[in-house]
This record gives sequence, C-alpha cells and structure tokens, in this order.
Amino acid sequence: MYILENTKLKKIIAGLGLATSILLLSGCVADKEASAKRAVDGGMKYEIKNGKYTSYHVNTQETKDFKYGRTPTKREITAWDIDVRPDGKGAPMYDMKHGVVVLDEDGNKKVAEGSVEWGNELYDAKCAMCHGDFGAGGKGYPTLSGGDIKSLTNQLQNPADDVPTEEPPRRAIGSYWPYASTLFWYIQDAMPFPNPKSLSNSETYAITAYLLMENGVTIDGEELDEEFVMNREQFLKVKMPNRDGFYPNVDTPENPKQGVENITKFLGDPSNYGTGTRCMTDCIKGETPVLRIKNEMNNFTPPASTVRDLPKVESKAGSVHPGLAGYEANCSACHGNAAIGAPVVGDKAVWAEVTTKGLDKVYHNGINGINAMPPKGGNMDLSDSEVKTIIDYMINASK
Amino acid sequence: MDKISNLSEDIKSASNRTEITSRRDFFKKTAAISAVAATSVLSPIKLKADDTAIIHEVEWGVKLGDKVTKNPYGLPSPYEHNNVRRNDPLLSSGDSYATVSMCPLHESEGIITPNGLFFTRDHGGTAHVDPEQFRLMIHGKVKKEIVLTLDQLKRYPSVTRTHFIECPANGSTDWRAPQYNNLQFLKGMMSSAEWTGVLLKTVLDDLGLEDDAVWMLAEGSDNAGNPRTIPVEKALDDAMLVWGQNGEALRAEQGYPLRLLVPGWEGNLNTKWLKRLEFSDKPWHTKEETSKYTMLQKSGKAIRYFWINEVNSVITSPCPEKPWTDLKKGDLVEVEGLAWSGQGTITNVDVSLDGGDNWVEASLKGLVLPKSWTRFSYIMRWDGKPLLLSSRAVDDLGSVQPTIDEETSKQGVESIYHRNGIVTWEVTSKGEVNNVHIRKHKA
Repeated sequence: MYILENTKLKKIIAGLGLATSILLLSGCVADKEASAKRAVDGGMKYEIKNGKYTSYHVNTQETKDFKYGRTPTKREITAWDIDVRPDGKGAPMYDMKHGVVVLDEDGNKKVAEGSVEWGNELYDAKCAMCHGDFGAGGKGYPTLSGGDIKSLTNQLQNPADDVPTEEPPRRAIGSYWPYASTLFWYIQDAMPFPNPKSLSNSETYAITAYLLMENGVTIDGEELDEEFVMNREQFLKVKMPNRDGFYPNVDTPENPKQGVENITKFLGDPSNYGTGTRCMTDCIKGETPVLRIKNEMNNFTPPASTVRDLPKVESKAGSVHPGLAGYEANCSACHGNAAIGAPVVGDKAVWAEVTTKGLDKVYHNGINGINAMPPKGGNMDLSDSEVKTIIDYMINASK
Repeated sequence: MDKISNLSEDIKSASNRTEITSRRDFFKKTAAISAVAATSVLSPIKLKADDTAIIHEVEWGVKLGDKVTKNPYGLPSPYEHNNVRRNDPLLSSGDSYATVSMCPLHESEGIITPNGLFFTRDHGGTAHVDPEQFRLMIHGKVKKEIVLTLDQLKRYPSVTRTHFIECPANGSTDWRAPQYNNLQFLKGMMSSAEWTGVLLKTVLDDLGLEDDAVWMLAEGSDNAGNPRTIPVEKALDDAMLVWGQNGEALRAEQGYPLRLLVPGWEGNLNTKWLKRLEFSDKPWHTKEETSKYTMLQKSGKAIRYFWINEVNSVITSPCPEKPWTDLKKGDLVEVEGLAWSGQGTITNVDVSLDGGDNWVEASLKGLVLPKSWTRFSYIMRWDGKPLLLSSRAVDDLGSVQPTIDEETSKQGVESIYHRNGIVTWEVTSKGEVNNVHIRKHKA
C-alpha cells in the first residue's frame, strides 16, 4: 500500500512546532540581523564564502587592471548620450546630429526650438495614423491625451465591484506621466515607431509642445497656444500634473543614496504590497469561493495544441516576393493593423478597390502619400522603385 | 488543544480527499459544471493486446535515417512542432513588433528553457546586431570611461549562472478575474537559462566608480532602446553582462550579442542589444519607468522602481493543456511545478488539494539555486474526485506567496504588474483542468 508522506513538514514539526516556525518566517522580515545581509531590493544578499557563491564555485583570483578597450571621444559620448533627465540634463540647446551641433545657413549654431503649430503639423503627418487625432488613441497604439489625474482613483477593487466606474483610470501623458523629460526623450529616441531617430531636436520640441498643449499642461500657469515656441528654457519650466503621484521618493539630490534606500526599505517589507501567511490547515473561513472564467481569451497565434504528429507540409510553390522585406520594415505597422484605417494587406475587397484606378495611381499615392499616410510611408530613404516593389507585394498578397 | 497533533491529522486528511470532503464538503458548493472546456485534451493511446507497434516492424526501423550532414544545426523532432511560443494579438499594441511571445511552460522540462522557446518581449521588433559593429560604452561617473568591442569584453573572466527572466506583466490578465484557461498564457512571460558573461562588478572594479555614482542607465542599440535605471548596488551585487545562453551565443530575441542580466528583477531591466551604461547621482525616470512599469494603487498613487519579481509558483502538471483525462480512479500521479523568487532562494513549496484550505509540503527536486526556477513535486493517489489544486512558495527571506485576496487587499486590481497571487487549477472528475480563482466575489 502506498502511503503519502510529508517528511519535510514532519521535520519542522519535530524541530520547532509549526506555530513557532511560522512566527520565525514572518518575524524574519523585521529581524535586524537579517537586514544587515539585505540586498538593495530588500532581498537576500549572498556573499562568496570558501570559494563559493551559494552553490557555484568561484575563481577568487585578483580581477583588476585589465587593459581592454579605449577611452571614448567626446563626440562619441555626445552622439550616444541623448538621454534627458527631469532636472534638464540632456535637454538640447541646439540641434545636434552625429555628435556635433548643426549649423544654419549663416554658419551659426541652430537653436533647437519648435512651435505648437509646427508640432501639430508634424503630429498629423507622422504620429496621428497610430495615436489618433489629437492623441486620442483608438488606432491600437497608446493613447496620448485625455483623462484627468482624478481618474486615477476610479478603480474596480475586485470582481465583487462589478460596476464600471464613470471613467476608468487613465494613464495618458497629462493624467499620469510625472515628467516631461521622458516624453521628449522617448520621441527623440524611439519615434515615429517605424522610423525612429529620424526627427531633429527642433521637431521633437515641436511635437512635445503640441502634445503638452493637447494634454492641457500649462507653463507658468499659461496654456500653450499655437504660437507657443518650445525650447530648452521653456521645457525646463514644465511641471506635469501628476508629478507627485509616485512613490517611493527617489529624487533626493542632497543625498543621492537616500532615494535608493527608500526603495530598499519599501521592497524589504512585503506587507507594503501583499504577502502570504504559511497557514497549513483550516485556512479558509467559511465557504471556498471559486471564481471561474466567464469570458475566455483564446485567440492564440498559432492556435493552442499539444498534438504530436507530423506538421502539414507548406506549399513550396512560389519564392519569397522581393517586396516582402521592405513591407515588413516600413509598412506593416500600419497596413498590417485594421485599427489604423489603412488598407490591410490580405483584405481582397479593400485592395480590389484600391487598384480600381490603375496601378500607376497606387504607385503615385504610395510615393507621394494619401490621407493619413505620409510620402513613402514616412521613410524618405526608400527609392521610388523600392516603394513600387513593396506595393507590388502588397497587391499580390491581397489577391 | 494541541495545534501540532491536530495538524498531523489534517496532513493525513489532506492526503485523502474523502476525509476533506466529509469535513468541509467544499465541492458541493462549487459543483456547477464549468462553462469552460479544457483547451486541448489528448485522447490517450489505447494499448491493445498484440500491439502492432510491437509485433510489426516500425517504419523508421527498416530504412536508413537522415545523413549526419543533414542538419548542421540540430532541430527538434518534427513531431514536436506544437511545442512553440505563442502570441495573443490582444497583448500587443496592434502589431507584431511591440509585443510578447509566451513560453510553452506546459511542455517545459527541468529548470532550463531551450533557446528557441525562451519567451520574447520586444518594444520595436527583434534587432539583428552586427557583432563587428557592436560597441559597449561605459561613461559618466566612472574614473575611466571606456569603449569596448565584443571581443575585448569577452576577454574579461566569465562566470556562468542559471537565472529565470520574468516579465513583470506575467499573469497580469488575471488581476480582476481568470481569463486564460491555459498555462502558457497565464504564466508564459518567463523562461530560464544558464547565462555566461562577466559580472558587472568585475568591469566596474576595474574602471573605478566615483563616490556619488548611485544610479546606472542601461540602454539598448535597437530602435526602442528601452533605457532603464538600475541602482549601482545591484550592478555591484549579481548583475552580469551576458553573451552566452545555454552554451551558445545569445539568441537575437534575447539581445544578441550582449544583454544586461539583473537576476530576479523585472524582465525589462535586462536590457537587450546593450550598447551603453552611464553612471550618475540621479535616477533617469525613463518612459518605461514612469508611464509603463509602475503600479497604480488604490490611493491613486503609483509605485515606481518595483524591481523584484516576488516569490511565486505554479503547478505545471497537471495544467489545462496537460490534463489528467487519461487517469483512472486510484492512479498514482505526480503533481509537479515551478517555484521562483527574485529576492532569494526557494525553501519550501506547499500544495493544496482543496483550494488552499489545507496544505501539505511538497518536495523540492533537482538543483535549488538563488533567483532560479526550482522544481517541486508531490506524488498522490487520485481518487477520481474533483480537486482544487494550488501551490504556494516560500523563499529564504521568509516571504510567502499570497492568496489572491491577500494581494488585492493591499494593491487593488489596477497594478497591471507584479501579480504573484496563488494559482489554482480545478481538476474535474473527468480529469479536465481549468484555471479558477479562489477569491471573494459576488455570486
């Protein structure tokens, strides 16, 4: 007869008694001796002892004074160090490219600046196709405006509160983001999504100004109008509505290490964010409340299956279309996504309509832009013939 | 009353479903047939007498196999074609670039994920970095700023360690209610590998840090860059610059040729396609650490810099994809699973057959390493009756995995990230397995 044994638990019981061991476990968190060995995340810190780091053997020979690599040049650092911090470090004074200041026609340093009006034009041409008009979303990509800081307390607490609040918490720029610096940095470094690092610093200031205007962010108490020009000086004055909406406090310039210690303290106490108790018996008072799936999500790519058989052999007919790679790199972010509103590749009916006025018209639109689509989809590095090849692929894939 | 002797009685009863049923009869309350069918139930192979698979020659036994030159880089058996990463378009920003693919945990063995099955999370697609043009720059508040080629970096003495990487959004679809009847999608935003690289401490000791170097920015060379701020203390503790993954170069999806590894912490801090480390006395507040990887709490305020993946566990067998539909009443069967903690080492895992009312301690299996997946096992005889199978992990910090109510009572349900509430599988009398929540709710 097979007998289920629980040897480990018996050891605990024999050695300490479970009640005591539970106390020890929870008491551990506040134990001062343990906190001396805490890592920066409030967790365990393991030291190298007798040539071993936990279970791993370690080479403990001296590991200093390697001579590899070389010192980066100032220009190299400038080219890569484009991050922008809340204290203004990195917010550019002049337009920069390839690690040097851009000069205007007269040979003077080109000041980085852009108006709300220009930002609006740039946004409509380069951003609206994904983020929606005025940043209102609805195209499958993040919503950039709307909502109020007050919405952040509108929450469903658990399934018991199955009544939607009037407005769910909104985490858009004006309602949630604590600093404008991350907005500028992100646009500069990673946007537009299919074509990042293509905007000048001035263009980035302009789009930043436009988005702050759409979010109702003020500077010195003034709303931003169309003529408002954003530059480094103005940018440093921006204070976001939700700047005090986050904790622990990590901005402690008078004592840089204090910010880190604040997090260590917070994370080191799991009661701040929910921890369990090691109850072993009769832990649920009353009935066991079982909540089952009501609306199952199961639209998987590929579909779920654990069958072990030979895969269906794909048709080898036809080779890879020369326009496929270009389509994937430049066009699919919009044309592969029904929410954007662009003709979706593979949709026969839509593409039959697109091509009714003839292939030359489709080429023309692809090269010069149409509706929300910028010329060449926003990638001016593409030659006309490359765009045509891509269009050939898109039409071919939609037959 | 002697609590300990009472407990031993309950351990016996937990091992014997009949006693639990008579005492609490919990299942009567939950007997309504689940509306959700198990997603994929294998029909077991029926072994008949004089099995043709035995008495006849099998096809592969009577002809030559593949030449040794066929696959210079080996591939899985073609029969394993369903053991793949999967994606749900609902989890992406409307495209296949800024999205996630889920690791098939239900097919996962041991504590290592094969490189082709390691979950992926990109912010702008998978970059393909030319190793000839790879450069790593370390600058800011260091005594000696430096640029390294990949070959130069690899000259530093290497270490090899096994760690999981988990996206903090793992399991996030279940904050309000269960939605996936599928282990791969419930917990598949994590994987584990044996990583090889240099400890960041080795490099920084060599370069020297300024006294007020408190924060480090790590940035990738891909289109999104995904810059993140990390405290220098972590960089000097167990962070690594890794180029090796399970004995070969990093896969492109994992940041080839170099990624940062911050063991136990949010997956997105393990910067892929790494190009730059900058040191400073102030944190950067990047986009992902303000607008995205922050946890909105009931107060309307949000927690930021929540670095750790908390103590966690899930039963991987059975699971919705690997049910017990082939078992008969009275069969002896192993309940197996994964436990992990980003703050330490797993010390205990408990298993419950009644949704968390009574618990027994499972055995740990195989290597037990810090900030690593740890296997647990509990062998039981199934009496063919419905079960509510749960697991609960404990780490050497003393942190205990919370129930769903323990977690949501603190955080509400808008956190999005860092959900580690106890997972429960409902096993029906047919052996089907469904994802359920044990939590207070309206009937």
